Amino acid sequence: MQFLANPTRFLKIANAVLPYVWAITIALFAVGLYGALVTAPPDYQQGETVRIMYVHVPAAWMALFVYTVMALASAVAAIFRHPLADVAAKTAAPIGAVFCFLSLATGSLWGKPMWGAWWVWDARLTSMFVLMLLYIGYMAIWAAIEEPHRAAMVARVVALVGFINIPIVKFSVDWWNTLHQPASVFRADGPTIAGPMLWPLLVMGLAYSFLFLALHLTAMRAEIAARKIRQIQIAEIGER
Amino acid sequence: MDFSADHIGFVIASYALSFIFLAGLIITTLGRDRKLRAEAERLDTQRKKARA
Repeated sequence: MQFLANPTRFLKIANAVLPYVWAITIALFAVGLYGALVTAPPDYQQGETVRIMYVHVPAAWMALFVYTVMALASAVAAIFRHPLADVAAKTAAPIGAVFCFLSLATGSLWGKPMWGAWWVWDARLTSMFVLMLLYIGYMAIWAAIEEPHRAAMVARVVALVGFINIPIVKFSVDWWNTLHQPASVFRADGPTIAGPMLWPLLVMGLAYSFLFLALHLTAMRAEIAARKIRQIQIAEIGER
Repeated sequence: MDFSADHIGFVIASYALSFIFLAGLIITTLGRDRKLRAEAERLDTQRKKARA
């Protein structure tokens, strides 16, 4: 991890791997969408509406994963003072917020025809809504506090305290009696989804993961450039 | 996919929404990266010239 602490070394690695990450992302989306829209059969109860699952579930997985990345990066920043950890946490937040929003919106578009309601305040939906608020709050801190070191300290606290919501989201369907169905892929006794529906879902999950990696590396590179600009501007003011 | 199926509008809306937001995120991220790296490069070159 300390190997990547040097921004110059990080940029060298990011610049080298990014074209490959983008290429893999495009290939995974092509295969995943073909599976989701062409080869996967309609569900015997939900019909074609089941295809919403291929964009809803990966978005929900990524919303949880990205927040976990933010919390881990915040912990690393607080404990080891890793120079790029705060950059990693800060730049992951807008990406995670979009995934979280898409999870809520596509879930709502599935809920209306299947449950007869756009929204219900059940434990899974409510905890995902709280996650969305945590993302917004985290980004608001970076936007509101001008001094980066102070902003980073406050943002770390929010990311770490908010992490308690992640297991609540994951296990909400087990701990409470919810309208949302229980886990059907990551289960101790194996997935309960049929193979022809499962593989497109897993490929779409991988596509979303690689998209996050590509966007995160790009956003980190941009943030390093933004900090360099700030340093140059401060140095110029000092020289005057 | 059967485009005459019940509730197909909800499926199309889900994919359209996902496409719009993810495309927007990609364009914004790549645009910011390109703009900031160019600005950093410009300021760095300007500074080096001033020192020389």
